[in-house]
Amino acid sequence: MLESDFQEKNRFFLNMGPQHPSTHGVLLIVLEMSGEYVLDPQPVLGFVHRMHEKMAESRPCVGFMPNTARMDYVCALPYNHGYVSLIERKTGIEVPKRAEYIRVITSELNRVASHLLWLGAYLLDLGAFTPILYGFDDREHILDILEDITGSRLTYCYYRFGGVSRDIDDKFVASTRAFIKRLRERFVIYEKLVTKNIIFIKRTENIGIVSPDMALRYGMTGPNLRGSGIAYDVRKNEPYSVYPEIDFEVPVGAQGDCLDRYMVRIREMEQSLRIIEQALDQLPEGPVRAKVPKNIKLSPGDCNFAVEAARGELSYYLVGDGTSTPYRLKVRVPSYSNLSCLPELGRGILLPDLVSILGSFDLVIPEMDR
Amino acid sequence: MAQETKIFKEDILFHEFNTTETDYNQRGYHLEVALEVNQVRKFAQKAYDAGFYLVFVTGFHVLSEETEEGTTSGLNGVYTFARYDRLYRIKGHVSVPEDMSLPSICDIYQGANWHERETRDLYGINFEGHPNLKPLLLSDEDRDFHPLLKEEKNLKSLETVSWPPEALESVDADAGAKAPSADSIDS
Repeated sequence: MLESDFQEKNRFFLNMGPQHPSTHGVLLIVLEMSGEYVLDPQPVLGFVHRMHEKMAESRPCVGFMPNTARMDYVCALPYNHGYVSLIERKTGIEVPKRAEYIRVITSELNRVASHLLWLGAYLLDLGAFTPILYGFDDREHILDILEDITGSRLTYCYYRFGGVSRDIDDKFVASTRAFIKRLRERFVIYEKLVTKNIIFIKRTENIGIVSPDMALRYGMTGPNLRGSGIAYDVRKNEPYSVYPEIDFEVPVGAQGDCLDRYMVRIREMEQSLRIIEQALDQLPEGPVRAKVPKNIKLSPGDCNFAVEAARGELSYYLVGDGTSTPYRLKVRVPSYSNLSCLPELGRGILLPDLVSILGSFDLVIPEMDR
Repeated sequence: MAQETKIFKEDILFHEFNTTETDYNQRGYHLEVALEVNQVRKFAQKAYDAGFYLVFVTGFHVLSEETEEGTTSGLNGVYTFARYDRLYRIKGHVSVPEDMSLPSICDIYQGANWHERETRDLYGINFEGHPNLKPLLLSDEDRDFHPLLKEEKNLKSLETVSWPPEALESVDADAGAKAPSADSIDS
């Protein structure tokens, strides 16, 4: 029997999800399989679709603030950041320097928390149970720090048009510095436990290689893109807030496999710690909130603002009509474009490798479904 | 940033289209391209050849207008692209004709596949040449329900939601700086 005949006879469909441990949320992937090989993986989205964009069109722009934290609940502060910056760009509100520094510090803390969660969850997908306990332990410290200052643990609504809602205090600064010191010591443990683990390397090296051209055709951004060797980071390429005043590097991988994406995130956490340290050192005195009109009017015309969220480029695109309610608000989320390459990337690979690829993409399903 | 724009001359790259340079600090993108329906694929191909990546495809709904070619549907398609190697963002927009269809660009940018499916879900724009135009975010039962289409009373004309020609001066004046004190809140 020819191999192709064998494949044809043994084709079957397998539903992976919507309740599957490795999809991290309600994502369904319909797999066309032949034996243990995946022929065609087709993601099915929309299980947690809430139509945030319609909600934005039906209330004054300030009322959309809480929604921004409910898309990517793992790394919500950059979503806050993008939205307030969009409205500030549209209306010309000047933000005090201190507020921008506080935004950068809290956003980067949130990014580290997101990468720690990803680290644990990814290794859990690959069959290692211990790292998630370490990851959650460290992440808990960040959530405690942020809870003190923002009042919430995940779905933050901390930033305001023209600043932030509360100033940070000495306790915040002290506990953040203590946390940075602690996490640097923990990186040594992670490296011994995970990065040099032979089983881990076998499961990730040369698996799911994303070429630069493929990344471009699908509009991939964030660590998934940087794993392929393209040093594109919105914080560097399109500097916003006070990132231009801070010295940090953009880590890149070599060939774009799962291991590269892993290494990029690990090194990115170190860079985030550097950013937080410098921002704490340079933190200026002053007000944390500018005077803004109570009723913010959005002038006619469109406006775009992009920020670097934990998973890549987040763009808000707003069309104003002269009232305080956006006429149209489009949210471009990174995971959506990142996952869209799966049908091409996952063709002809083993099912366990597909799990490894999905994990390395760091997906957040409510963010994709919006 | 402003200097970079001048050096690379993207406006020459897209010279065959109706382009307008825009103020990046105000709008967040550098070049606005007004497209005809038959130019969409050419525009995407040019962007791909020049090394742009696709940021998103979406639409927005305004009052329909009478033009020389016929009535428009009131829907607009929006395409935005950006670069990995330097800061440059372009936005193309096209008025969707009355038959509610646009050419698909997902053989040029495969990433447009999901964006176009989403736009069909939300606005009912039919992308011709799309290999798999099934509902993506909405369910199959909602095939003919397009949540982002506005009701007649909420529709505004394209002019009222576009930057006025004298954008620079008027926006600065509106910019909240001279808000009356009774209307402000304390920091």
